[in-house]
Amino acid sequence: MAIIKWVFWITFWVLAGAFFHYTLPQVDIVRVTDTYEKRIDFGENSIFWAQADVGNDGTAVNRDVFFIQTRRAKGDVMVYRNEDTGWGWPPYFKFDTSNLQAEAADAKSTGEAAKYVAIKHYGWRNEFLSIFPNAISIRAVDGPDAAKGIPWLNIFILALFFAIAYAIWVRWRRFRMARIDPTLEAIEDDLVEKRGRFSRWIGTWRAKDKS
Amino acid sequence: MLALARLVVVGFIVLTVIYVCLSFYSRAVRKGKLRQKWQDGPQKVNRETFVQRGLEKYDGSIRRKLILGVYVVPVVVVGVIIYLTNFS
Repeated sequence: MAIIKWVFWITFWVLAGAFFHYTLPQVDIVRVTDTYEKRIDFGENSIFWAQADVGNDGTAVNRDVFFIQTRRAKGDVMVYRNEDTGWGWPPYFKFDTSNLQAEAADAKSTGEAAKYVAIKHYGWRNEFLSIFPNAISIRAVDGPDAAKGIPWLNIFILALFFAIAYAIWVRWRRFRMARIDPTLEAIEDDLVEKRGRFSRWIGTWRAKDKS
Repeated sequence: MLALARLVVVGFIVLTVIYVCLSFYSRAVRKGKLRQKWQDGPQKVNRETFVQRGLEKYDGSIRRKLILGVYVVPVVVVGVIIYLTNFS
């Protein structure tokens, strides 16, 4: 029973953590190396892609998606997709995909004359699923060591989440102590008593002392 | 437009549930406070009349209308997010 409980709660918290890690915005300091668009046929990874640009036909099975190729200040490369989130999830309400692509193209630079930008994004890069983080906005920064800023929004949302989780937990514990535990104990006591009676009854069938 | 319609409809339903729960809760709290006030006061009228009058006053009050903020705040937040994401 204890194992089931542990597995359940570990699964729950891993999923919650993954959800927030995927959905909340993060900032990378990068150098844009190129921008391109590519036709994507969505398959089993379709949940990790947004929908067609707002106003376009959303029923088509494939479409062109903007991409932004970058090299991060850390040294590795990262490819971002650039899609409208529109009115859907996650609630970034991003409609300016094409403008963002224009900005990204404008920020292109080579390693010799490097220009760095801070790119705000959400999502994951995963080579095995062919999924890409979605770029939200771009702003120019001084250099590769530029500060990313304090993530106030993330702090606020996570604090709110933990406050709600704590409030639910406290109330549930109080409810359990007041209502469920006494009932369970009563059932247990009842069972013990009944078992006692039953074994006494069995005892009457046993052979008595033969001495 | 379909996505917008879906957001509006689902949002409206969710917010309505929150609004109804909140207004019932707020009314119950007010009722409790009025009973307490009657208990502590001179008790010139009987309790039911006192509470009834107090609730009628509450129904017309600005406090009760503030609960409509349940609808207003998310719309404003969405508006701000749209501005920050796309136009700044």
